Amino acid sequence: MADEARKKEILEKLRNGVIQYDEDACREGANEALEAGLDANEAIFDGLVSGMEEVGRLFEAQEYFVPEILMCADALYAGLDILKPHCKQMDLGLKGSVVIGTVEGDVHDIGKNLVKMMFDVAGFNVYDLGRDVPLDKFVDEQLKTDSDLVCLSAMMTTSMVGMPTVIEKIKAKNPNCMIMIGGAPTSKDLADKWGADGYAEDASNALKEAIKMVAFLKKLRDEKAAK
Amino acid sequence: MNADPLKQYLKSEGATLVGVGDVTEALSKEIIHLNRGIAIALNRNLNRETIRLLARLQGLSVAWLSARGYRNLSIPPDSDRQKDKLITRLYKLFCHKTAATCSGLGWVGKNGLLINRQYGSRLSWATVLTNAPLDADEPVRESECGDCVLCVMHCPSGAVKGDHWSISNPRRKLVAYDKCAALKSRRQTLDGKPNCGFCVTVCPYSRNGKREKAGK
Repeated sequence: MADEARKKEILEKLRNGVIQYDEDACREGANEALEAGLDANEAIFDGLVSGMEEVGRLFEAQEYFVPEILMCADALYAGLDILKPHCKQMDLGLKGSVVIGTVEGDVHDIGKNLVKMMFDVAGFNVYDLGRDVPLDKFVDEQLKTDSDLVCLSAMMTTSMVGMPTVIEKIKAKNPNCMIMIGGAPTSKDLADKWGADGYAEDASNALKEAIKMVAFLKKLRDEKAAK
Repeated sequence: MNADPLKQYLKSEGATLVGVGDVTEALSKEIIHLNRGIAIALNRNLNRETIRLLARLQGLSVAWLSARGYRNLSIPPDSDRQKDKLITRLYKLFCHKTAATCSGLGWVGKNGLLINRQYGSRLSWATVLTNAPLDADEPVRESECGDCVLCVMHCPSGAVKGDHWSISNPRRKLVAYDKCAALKSRRQTLDGKPNCGFCVTVCPYSRNGKREKAGK
């Protein structure tokens, strides 16, 4: 096991690599973490994801804008690609599989991709249907994969109106499946009205919401570890 | 903010042309805060070495601007984009021609390519967007192709329509790209070289200074 000072140094490098969108630093940090015998999950969550949490904060504070967010996400992925093969399967006490996509008529998927990335990091089994996804495809994919969660994203009001149809169809076929919606025109009220189980604030806050989710998962993980 | 020091610096590092344009009107909301476009051109064919040089010049611009506390986004040459990266998705929101025309470095010719008075279409471009309030150059507003129809006549696929570009109508479709693409894919299967390049070689602006050498 690496000594504490070295470990702290590596985690800091990963964290700062993400915040300063420095892909090389993230790759380096990830390799150093493996060489030093750090736990890959710890390197991801206390290094990379911790950096992305700070990025979320900077985004909210309007210090960072969309280009920075994407570059940070690329840096995170650069480290993640190296660390992920060494990850222990995380037991979150959840089955953790999710079908995600941007609904029919909508090609805006930056928010969706960020949410997906966080699910990836959290060790979820993610079935990404991409963008402009026909409504029935969500229903079919959910049945095929028996996923726990379906996440629907939309940025335009015109495409958002397809959401209740999907929710209704999935709930009819599989009432135990959880559904979360997100994107600029959606709201908590709409989520409730349409019978969705969860809501991620809006397109620009999708990242923040994803971070909250991961933070929540992290908490579950920590709690479980404490027991 | 005077842009000359940056321009001089980039030219001393090998840039053929450097311009600064006010690109506000061409920006989508994700990047609306980066309203100055620094157009950097190299008088070279686009190959690996050219891309390396352009990337280096972009890196120098970013370092120069960051050191002064400004934000930047480098838009790499079209042929140097890693498809699997998230940031690549933003690149297509902005095209190099916009930065070049807004910086007064040329217009979009009938052939759909950026044409510079001195170098024609024989330039390779990269752009750095920034929020630094650099003094913008005067844009080129209208096509200077005039009555010339050489590219229209010589295009083997008949794709060049012969219309004039104008800054007020930047999205006008000057070239039937489906025809051009069909020819490219045919050429690709024939000899592995997709680009015919006639629209560059026949352009009088691209031939500047080359005519004598070729012995007419």
